[in-house]
Amino acid sequence: MTYIFLLLALVMVASALAVVTLHNPLHSALALILNLLTVAALFAALDAHFLAAVQIIVYAGAIMVLVVFLLMLLNIKTEKPKPMGKFLFVLSAAVGVSFLALCIPAFNEAFRIFPDPVHELEGTVKAMGRILYTEYVFPFEAASVLILAAIVGAVMLAKRSYSKGSGHGSN
Amino acid sequence: MVELLILLIKLFVVFNLIMGLASICTWIERKGSALIQDRVGANRAGAFVETDNILLKPVFYVLRVLGMLGIINTLVNDGVKALTKEDFVPEGVSNFMHSLAPFLAVFPVFVAFALLPFAPDFTVSGYHIRAQVAPLDAGLLFIFAMGSMAVYGVALAGWTGNNKFSLLGGLRAAAQMISYELAMGVTFVTVIITYGTLDLYEIVERQQYGLGILATITQPISFIILFVVGMAETKRGPFDLPESESELVAGYFTEYSGMKFLLFWLGEFAEIALFAAIIVLLFFGGWKIPFVELPAGSWLSALIGHAVLMGKILFFCVLQIVLRWTLPRFRYDQLMHLGWKILLPLSMVNLVVAAALKVL
Repeated sequence: MTYIFLLLALVMVASALAVVTLHNPLHSALALILNLLTVAALFAALDAHFLAAVQIIVYAGAIMVLVVFLLMLLNIKTEKPKPMGKFLFVLSAAVGVSFLALCIPAFNEAFRIFPDPVHELEGTVKAMGRILYTEYVFPFEAASVLILAAIVGAVMLAKRSYSKGSGHGSN
Repeated sequence: MVELLILLIKLFVVFNLIMGLASICTWIERKGSALIQDRVGANRAGAFVETDNILLKPVFYVLRVLGMLGIINTLVNDGVKALTKEDFVPEGVSNFMHSLAPFLAVFPVFVAFALLPFAPDFTVSGYHIRAQVAPLDAGLLFIFAMGSMAVYGVALAGWTGNNKFSLLGGLRAAAQMISYELAMGVTFVTVIITYGTLDLYEIVERQQYGLGILATITQPISFIILFVVGMAETKRGPFDLPESESELVAGYFTEYSGMKFLLFWLGEFAEIALFAAIIVLLFFGGWKIPFVELPAGSWLSALIGHAVLMGKILFFCVLQIVLRWTLPRFRYDQLMHLGWKILLPLSMVNLVVAAALKVL
């Protein structure tokens, strides 16, 4: 278990670094997909199969497909790395170092306890559903209202740009 | 130790199952399309081999028959040809990305096969064996997840083609798969509600007489939606706009040759078999023979069940291939209209009806 976790963690960190360091946006997106898939693999290694499946469907599937689709549609070119100014370099280094310092206590805690696989029943769909609809029913419903608001907002924005646009567009 | 061995045997069997189904589908496509179009089809390779050796005569006779049926042509010649062809990579494209795309197209299909059960449970010398590589509680969800991963292969292939035809093909493929995935997801939920479980083995076991399609009034509609979505997701039949040869050369795999091209092909046929298998497992009772009860637990009934399942899967493979060679291609707006304005609302209504039936 520990070895699987270490391997997955290594891939996870490497792909996360690749997301920010690669210059081609599509390569970054693919690295992000790899990252999200490793998170799903970690869930699966912890016997939380339902979470793993949902992680793949929602993040690696739905969201990243839209990102890749847009990148292809807009045909974004490879970014040229800009030379960084001295002030910017110092500032970003300071921010990075302070964030790392903040993280060290958390890392300390995390590395001492390796996560154990969940209890056999806790990872099943039935157990997940029961918890979602009893203990976490309010956050669950609130999230669905939030998503509904986002859908309505998206439709509103799309409709407005259509009605204002003159000429072609048969809607 | 023995568990590991059993798992390896299962992996070996399922891998060969995919390859076998894909090659049989290839052959049916080759010869079947010839039959439909009143052509002769592949019948030359190996059809004229002769020998004077009296011992080898029966062998060569079999070879001649296989050759005339076009089996040698599809299984041996095509593979050898693809292996020995020049591997072409377009200019200005990273070799890694170009090679990654066919693997991404094939990988999700193969993983999805690991989640399908292929025979009823049986016991061999004290070991209880389930003919499923990964018997997961959330099996159907994982198959859906793998289906959503299949988009990346074609999208990346279209992008690494580095020309307009490939890119257009990739975009069309991605748009089509996203559009039809919605109806597929909702229909999966409908089926899950009807059976009350996500475990594919359990779903088959809960179908009385092996006729799950008649369980409720929503089931036939779910079957029709899933069948249409399956044909759209395999990007074949009337839904082959991403690779429409009269407009886009070959669509997203225009720039692929040799073994990489063959991988796309393999993925396509494996996907046909996958959707046939899903439909058989969800609606037609998998390995069950209607109104016949096989004794549970013996390896013989497992073998018979497996043969029955394969027969049903092959029937739906043939049905998809026949439809592909019969129907004309959709126009792009018709494709989107069917996906968003017919299948999606229909599946939503179906879901509500299924939920209401479950509660009542």
